[in-house]
Amino acid sequence: MTERVTFSPITRLSGLLSAEATVENGRIIDANTSSTMFRGYEWIMCNRKITDAVYLTQRVCGICSLAHGAVSSYLLDQVFDNDISENAQYLRNIMYAADFLQNHIRHFYLFSLPDFVVMPNKPPFLNQNLTDARLNAQDNQRLVNNYFEAIKASQKSHEILVLFGGKAPHQHSFVHGGVAVAPTADKINRALALLSDITEFVRGCMIPDTELISSVYGDYYKIGITPGRLLSFGLFRFGNKNEEVIWRSGVLNENKLSIPDLSLIHEDITHSWYEVNRDITSQPCLEPAPFKPGAYSWIKSVKYAHNFFEVGPLARMVINGFYRGSTSTMDRIYARTLETSLIVQLMKDWLTQLIPGPPPIEQKSKIVRERVIAVTDAMRGTLLHSAILENEQIKEYNIITPTVWNFSPKDQYGNRGPVESALIGTEIPSNDMLFTILGRIIRSFDPCLACATHVLDANHKKSVVF
Amino acid sequence: MQQKQFVSLCENWLKNPRSPLSKKLLPAIEQYRLKTGEKLPVIWVETSDSGDNNISFLNTSAPDAGRVFRKIIDLLYSNTFMAAQGPDAIRLLQYAARQYQGQFTLVVEGAIPIKDNGVYNIIFKTRDHSYTALEMVKWLGSLAKYVVALGTCASFGGPTAARPNITESKGVRDILDREVINVSGCPINPDWFVGTLAHLLMFGRPELDDLGRPTLFYGFTVHRHCQRRSYFDRQEFAQELGDKECMFSLGCMGPRTGADCPYRQWVEGANWPVRANTPCIGCTNKDFPDGSTPFFTPLPEKNPEQNQNLSGPKKEVSR
Repeated sequence: MTERVTFSPITRLSGLLSAEATVENGRIIDANTSSTMFRGYEWIMCNRKITDAVYLTQRVCGICSLAHGAVSSYLLDQVFDNDISENAQYLRNIMYAADFLQNHIRHFYLFSLPDFVVMPNKPPFLNQNLTDARLNAQDNQRLVNNYFEAIKASQKSHEILVLFGGKAPHQHSFVHGGVAVAPTADKINRALALLSDITEFVRGCMIPDTELISSVYGDYYKIGITPGRLLSFGLFRFGNKNEEVIWRSGVLNENKLSIPDLSLIHEDITHSWYEVNRDITSQPCLEPAPFKPGAYSWIKSVKYAHNFFEVGPLARMVINGFYRGSTSTMDRIYARTLETSLIVQLMKDWLTQLIPGPPPIEQKSKIVRERVIAVTDAMRGTLLHSAILENEQIKEYNIITPTVWNFSPKDQYGNRGPVESALIGTEIPSNDMLFTILGRIIRSFDPCLACATHVLDANHKKSVVF
Repeated sequence: MQQKQFVSLCENWLKNPRSPLSKKLLPAIEQYRLKTGEKLPVIWVETSDSGDNNISFLNTSAPDAGRVFRKIIDLLYSNTFMAAQGPDAIRLLQYAARQYQGQFTLVVEGAIPIKDNGVYNIIFKTRDHSYTALEMVKWLGSLAKYVVALGTCASFGGPTAARPNITESKGVRDILDREVINVSGCPINPDWFVGTLAHLLMFGRPELDDLGRPTLFYGFTVHRHCQRRSYFDRQEFAQELGDKECMFSLGCMGPRTGADCPYRQWVEGANWPVRANTPCIGCTNKDFPDGSTPFFTPLPEKNPEQNQNLSGPKKEVSR
């Protein structure tokens, strides 16, 4: 028996996502994931002053806003050949880490938890319909309580970011040349106090709660497995030219680890709502084509060396040797919590390295490079910004976000991206469990569709590297 | 007579502003509501924006977001927060819109693309129909008691409608033929949003400025209350980001931006952009971001045509 089902809306994530799956004899045999929102940020970025990029690109995404601000600052640091002072390096990474904690805590508790825990039958939890609830009443209640505690812990994470960044989301002080806010004793002290509360929450709630869910739902170590190709651009940049990373970059393919070569990244629009405008009077460029036959997503397919790659906390943890496991739903959830616990420690170390002094920022004004590319890992995985400038103006600005890697639609040969691969082959023991299972697998990738619809490649090149 | 019937009867009366009874009844009813612990039914639809406003909402401190869910609003539909998913979520929306017709507050987070009948934003789809933000907001907007546009994209188009705006995105008020309460900001300060919801619950419709925003939060310019106003008055201007002087020289939009950031600040009063030694970029404005870019260019030179009445410092623009 074959049935085609529509899973829409897929709630509890950033942005709008739908999926279609074909279920045959209790097994998923085909799946399309569809991003249904397009803002056209590639057009918005063009013909603006390059120094607008940090604040403008942050507005691509609300939950990982600082990731765009950070990589865009690295890009501008190259444009002006800035030197980043040591205090600025620490401050930048403290702020970046604060946004990571915010993201990971919110994802685990607000988005993922209702996939495993029975929430009170009150708004906003009505119609939860969790068809596979396994926790005993006492554990269940504890995790429900921690949902509400997580709201406070994640708010404190953003308080640290605001302390140094001016506001959040869309902070102001982490820009090219350094950080505009002075590290002073009162701020360091306040941040340490907030971090201590967050650390207590991560160690006292998030880690044991993850352990509990991963043991009670241990079968999800065998569900939602991707082909195991992992990619990271490295995380937490240090060095006066942003040249060092605390967590290394890497391409892991068939157990071989290598250094990413950005020239091997390619995009494909076979199943995406874009087409190449071949107007002979102008350069070939991409245009949105919402009625294109066969297309099913605003996300483009992106590949590295002709293969799809999974990105995210799991990729970082495996590539850096902090975690050994498979590439399943529960591995992804576990790795995200593991990463959270490592970040609280790093952040504490960095806060104690700050030396009180003036705002650590020095912005040079002469443009020395007009073709630039900058990368980092964001909360959900690899993030790339690249730009071509002319007279301080942006001619072209490209962004490839993590969700584009994970939620790539099929390529021209019918190969599937990581999420679609993870869905294929999944057993659906009974019809009423279908959406519960799909939701668990999909959310383990921490999708962010606000980001993903802004793949910027207006001039549709084969390679994203200029 | 049922409580609900009585309240709605009174409310109908109140729509006649000349009724002397209404003036006495309104506060009494609202007081009653406060005491009975009634909550505000809310349907929250996310359209085209970055999702920053729901993240900023989670930064509300007193009440925290959990308490907002428990004590202030009944959040019946929200793509970000609801436990329901797929067809269960759609059924809940249909139920809520019917059950609370004329009573619920519609929160729209994001701009509405209208090109090609709004196909650039699909809220959800069923086997035979894709529901665009355009049709959903029109439908729900016709049933709601209040419509709140959350964030600058929803209020005025914002970054989503920035030039060249190829999706022809618009603010909610441009697609609905009714009053929309605009809570602008990129993102909103959570107090502006939670404060507006609380006002609706406890005291009804708040006083609005000519852009449809609660004057409580947007009534004065950032410039008017800025801690660095004394530097401006002495014409002591910042040379670079990180300086302690007035940020007008580095593009500050404070003189023509209505918002209470200098007083309220962000997340437990921890900081705000000017205190962080950077300019205000005018994110609550109708013309954000195009009217604010280039961000670091002084206001009179940003967009000469539009800002020509701002020839230099020392000129107060609005209140």
